[in-house]
Amino acid sequence: MIHKKTTFTSKSKTALASLLLAGTILTGGMSTAATAQDKVVVAVSPLGADSNLYWTTTGAFIFPSMQTLVGNSAETGKYDNSQLAESWEHNEDFTSWTFKLHPNAVFSDDWGPVTSADVVHSFEIHTGDDAKLSGISALKETTLTAIDDHTVRFDLPTPDPDFLFSHAGRGSLVIYSKAQFDAEGMEGYEAAPAGSGPFKYEGRDVGQSMTFSSIKDHWSGASPEFDEIEFRWVSEPSTRLAMLAAGEAHAVTLPRDLRDDAAEAGETVLSSSAGAMQSTMLFTGKFMKPEAEETRDATSYAWADARVREAVNRALDRDGILEVLYGEGVEALPVYTMDPRFPGYSQELADRFDEDYGYDPEKAMALLKEAGYPEAFDNAAIPLVVTSLAGNPEFAQMAELVQAYLDVVGIETEMREQDWATGNTAIRGFTADFVTPMRNAPVRPAALGVQIFFTEHASPHLDLGDPEINALGGELLTETDPEKRDAILNEMFTSIYESYAHIPMAAVPATVVVSSDLVEGWTFPGSTSSGLSHFELIDLK
Amino acid sequence: MLKYLARRVGSSLFALWVITIIVFLLTHLSGNPVDALLPDDATKQQIDAFIRDWGLDKPLWQQYLTFLGNAVQGDFGTSLKWPGEDAMGFVLARMPATLQLGGIAILISLVVALPLGVAAAVYKGSPVDNGAQMFALLGQSIPNFWLGIVLIWVFSVWLGWLPTSGTGTFAHAILPAIAIAWFQVSALARLTRSAMLEVLDAEYIKLARVKGVGEFSVVWKHALRNAAVVPLTYFGILAASILTGSVVIETVFSWPGMGWVAIEAIRGRDFPVVQAVIVAYAVIYMISNLVVDLLYVAIDPRIRND
Repeated sequence: MIHKKTTFTSKSKTALASLLLAGTILTGGMSTAATAQDKVVVAVSPLGADSNLYWTTTGAFIFPSMQTLVGNSAETGKYDNSQLAESWEHNEDFTSWTFKLHPNAVFSDDWGPVTSADVVHSFEIHTGDDAKLSGISALKETTLTAIDDHTVRFDLPTPDPDFLFSHAGRGSLVIYSKAQFDAEGMEGYEAAPAGSGPFKYEGRDVGQSMTFSSIKDHWSGASPEFDEIEFRWVSEPSTRLAMLAAGEAHAVTLPRDLRDDAAEAGETVLSSSAGAMQSTMLFTGKFMKPEAEETRDATSYAWADARVREAVNRALDRDGILEVLYGEGVEALPVYTMDPRFPGYSQELADRFDEDYGYDPEKAMALLKEAGYPEAFDNAAIPLVVTSLAGNPEFAQMAELVQAYLDVVGIETEMREQDWATGNTAIRGFTADFVTPMRNAPVRPAALGVQIFFTEHASPHLDLGDPEINALGGELLTETDPEKRDAILNEMFTSIYESYAHIPMAAVPATVVVSSDLVEGWTFPGSTSSGLSHFELIDLK
Repeated sequence: MLKYLARRVGSSLFALWVITIIVFLLTHLSGNPVDALLPDDATKQQIDAFIRDWGLDKPLWQQYLTFLGNAVQGDFGTSLKWPGEDAMGFVLARMPATLQLGGIAILISLVVALPLGVAAAVYKGSPVDNGAQMFALLGQSIPNFWLGIVLIWVFSVWLGWLPTSGTGTFAHAILPAIAIAWFQVSALARLTRSAMLEVLDAEYIKLARVKGVGEFSVVWKHALRNAAVVPLTYFGILAASILTGSVVIETVFSWPGMGWVAIEAIRGRDFPVVQAVIVAYAVIYMISNLVVDLLYVAIDPRIRND
């Protein structure tokens, strides 16, 4: 009931904002469009954790003043040397990675050049007890050695061909100035951390905003065409839309429905150049362990039967669902965690997707009949989790839409309203017995993602329980030959795909709505947790 | 009098203790804090350190006693959403912003509602009364978040007179204060009207008029003073609910007060701050009600004698 109230409130607010936006159009709108172009204002949802000590946050927002070792190309999302590492190399088995720093990289506020000592110092504070960064586990077991002033080497306990991911958009390590720490201690970082990015930290109003000034003649050659950029944390999407319409903000993030309203009002919706997130609904509970399908007891679920899983997938009109949830620009996803940017991608699966997963309610009903559903199942009703997660307001609606389609073909469902943490508690405790929305953001390298969400090797609680997939995951851990890795991954994705082991949804770009009066364009790859980056590329009119 | 005061303070403290139990249990019912506060891929070491630091490996009663002992000293721990910030200190630091907004809202409520209620009673059945009734009906029917958004679009987007959100100048406070006050104006005006109607019909008011006391004095001095007990009863609730009811409005207008902190802390699963802000709100409510009870005693000697 609570969920329904929330939905009603949300829809009411959305409808109201739409109505008011229509009024704006009719009255000529945008009455107070900002004229000052020396300051760019970006209004987004508040951060999950808000601190100048980056490693004490989950890494959702990398300050534009700070840099990682590896960059992502704005146009393609591929790794590049636009951040602090000029080049890198690895040994044959991917257990040793050496990074050479840009020799001319310097910190702001005259804290001197960026050297190996800064990297080592930053590594130490990022892997300390107070670190809460997502993905930090990849660095925890690593040894870092300064080879010379501008060369560092990471030695890993196991091969990791995807090590660059931690140092790029994932942002597991951003580089702080050791010289500043030696002079000012942690207080210096808390007050004004010096970075090497094209912006300089100017200050914050806790929980409200952060301001950065542009650096002239930045060492990298980056040259923002504005003097200052301010990030405002605004919870209410309707307020963010109003800020854009009133000319108080140049760019805002909006949920899908308000985004459409803004576009109709003449604002510009920009999408990231590459997919920023993948979404899915996951069956939980090691349902593919061999005994699950045979017993169908309390520890198994209706989805332990492959025919039921296929019926679930066949019952869904994905085009309709994705249009409602995300609008234009999204692509159906054949296998969650598979991505054309990473090894293991199978064009064949993508090509077959419509045929194997396309909307076919009659086929779904036939499959259910063949499986003896629901009579042959002790737990015929499928619990669908209705939940919300910061950055994914669509998750609740996703469950509702799936329920509506499953209902049509006769699949019993039960809406289970629970917060994200409660779901996580059940998943981590191996007591999960539901079908839950899940996201992969930023999109992890396929080899990492597939282990986390489908095998026992990275997050055992999300293990499908399938011996074959687990065996392939085990091989992947030690295999270092790129071609063989590609083949293993391909085999894993094919197995997941053909066994209908999940309900893949979409590859979604990050989107931002910019004022059509003030902003000409902005290219960003969607490679960070927030989806936004490359603020220096905001092109003003 | 002292006995009465002691009884009221005692019951308030008892209620506060019950609230600490509810707050403590609620934060433990909404999922394991480990899953709420650590990233999905947290390492075993991170989880173990977290459990140790939070004392989650101890029995629940022991955790509560530790929580209560610290809470009595104002120590609710360190914020998780705003790392390094003392939870209660962070909440209290936002109180002036809420008091500022609430103060303006209360002022608007009183300045508008009392004359409106009095006028509606004095001119009962007239267009003034009908207008006031309609205003009250609308005010109590419109959700304040909806009103807040409408105000933003009309006065900030269409007319461009006021900022949409944020803080910094007096202009930033105008729209959120109106949005908060709107409902209270309606409620207070209706209460004032009904109380005034009752008093204006009393014998002593008729006597005052017969004796030739001026109508202004009859209404504003003799009648309003005696009718004031009813709106005064509501004023305690009004003051507290304006402060606590700012939760939604502060979020809509991105006003950095206690209400905004409450919502952000809940969204960020910042349990120390959630606990601190709820206890702070509870204390505000209790003090408001205590002050009203004492005002009763000051206004109505019969309560004192009881």
